[in-house]
Amino acid sequence: MSTLQTIQRMMVEQFELKAEDLTPDAQLEALGLDSLSVIEFMFNIEDEFHIKLPDERVEIKSIQDIASIVERLVSEQQKAVS
Amino acid sequence: MTRRVVITGLGVFSPVGKNPSELFGNLMAGHSGIGHIQAEFSEKLSIRIAAQIQGYNPADHFSKIKLSGIERFSQFALIAGEQAVKDAQLELAELELPRAGVCLGTCMGGASTLEEGYVEVFQRKIPRIKPLSVLLGMNNAAASHLSLAYHLQGSNITYSTACASSAIAIGEAYRQIKDGYADVMLAGGSEALLTHGVMKAWEALRTLALEDAADPTASCKPFAKDRSGLVLGEGAAVLVLEDAERAVRRGARIYAEIAGYDCSSDASHIAKPDAAGQTRAILNALRDARMQPQDIHYINEHGTATLAGDIEETKAIKQAFGDHAYRVPVSSTKSMHGHLMGATGAVEFMVAVLALQHNAIPPTINLHHPDPECDLDYVPNVGRRDVELNAVMSNSFAFGGSNAVLIAKCFS
Repeated sequence: MSTLQTIQRMMVEQFELKAEDLTPDAQLEALGLDSLSVIEFMFNIEDEFHIKLPDERVEIKSIQDIASIVERLVSEQQKAVS
Repeated sequence: MTRRVVITGLGVFSPVGKNPSELFGNLMAGHSGIGHIQAEFSEKLSIRIAAQIQGYNPADHFSKIKLSGIERFSQFALIAGEQAVKDAQLELAELELPRAGVCLGTCMGGASTLEEGYVEVFQRKIPRIKPLSVLLGMNNAAASHLSLAYHLQGSNITYSTACASSAIAIGEAYRQIKDGYADVMLAGGSEALLTHGVMKAWEALRTLALEDAADPTASCKPFAKDRSGLVLGEGAAVLVLEDAERAVRRGARIYAEIAGYDCSSDASHIAKPDAAGQTRAILNALRDARMQPQDIHYINEHGTATLAGDIEETKAIKQAFGDHAYRVPVSSTKSMHGHLMGATGAVEFMVAVLALQHNAIPPTINLHHPDPECDLDYVPNVGRRDVELNAVMSNSFAFGGSNAVLIAKCFS
């Protein structure tokens, strides 16, 4: 399952959103997620992908934003481990 | 400028009723909402008795997106608040919003959120805590969610005065309207503290009722010789308070007028109840209502069923009411709904208002062996119907010595 697919599955589970609405460029705000819901979601993302988000703020507006951050952190942090 | 304040909407979510009519019907029938606690930690408790809301499924009331940001005690407040607002058919114009507010009481707010966080960090050694923990757990979350839901732009205040929290919240909301600071207030309380850690803390204090071996639902026995303590409960109650002129103008159904309120502090002991302080609160409230003891036709007592508490309250009623103390029916409905802590004053004041409306008095159940030191008319075991009630009182006496008394009367 790709990163994007995993994120989409998690969103369906956590927020009961419709899978067909979760296109990569879908805006989180338009899906009904405010900044707090996003913080909550990113907490679960850390668990799912075994990554740690950096302390500095990252701009997250769309589903693709989440996927990009996850892929970057997975590659950086796995490198650090190995 | 002193204005009159009326009650135009009621909402409640409790262990003995999930709306006001269900609550009052069950109380009149003497049904208990107390029983064995259903929780995964129940085996670890020495006392496994509580008044839980049965069959509660948050998803029946809130979407999943909303739920991640709304704690159990805020959920209860929103459910009770929605009932009250609908019941009042309350509609607020844009210009009225800054003069509409909310006052709620709670003791432990989002207790389960904090506890889960501590378990994660201290026990499971997980280095992080849920990111919304602060916003879920803070004591003023429930009131704030009500303010958000109905765009109330006036006061948004949470009172935390232990068992008197929501009685004080209602009383202070009444004053806001009476003194002209607001026209409409949502007032009440919410509590959801039936967690492992909180239950353990109460066990340690040795004030919880022991389980009645024959009938666990009868474990809370106010004013009885065989009483052994209080039963913790959860839930919420919210009332719509309104400037009487506004309510009359819009043709609202008026349950009752809040005739008086006041409070006092024992200033004598952090936990031991004190009849002198309680008497002061009762007399202060009567003075505020410009009423005499004989004007009060029913008292919903604090009546926690602790050994000391019931005796002190009995003394206080005698000191404040004189001879009339023996003639006024007084009951403790905590025998059925348990002690809802920060929500209890609001639930009980609502019960008193419903008694006034129905001309019916709910009983004190489990009172089969009277205590000679508790010798008032506690309406033992069987409720009374067709009694003419013109004014009722609700007592709330808290740990910390904070006492509050509310009086409601028929509106005319």
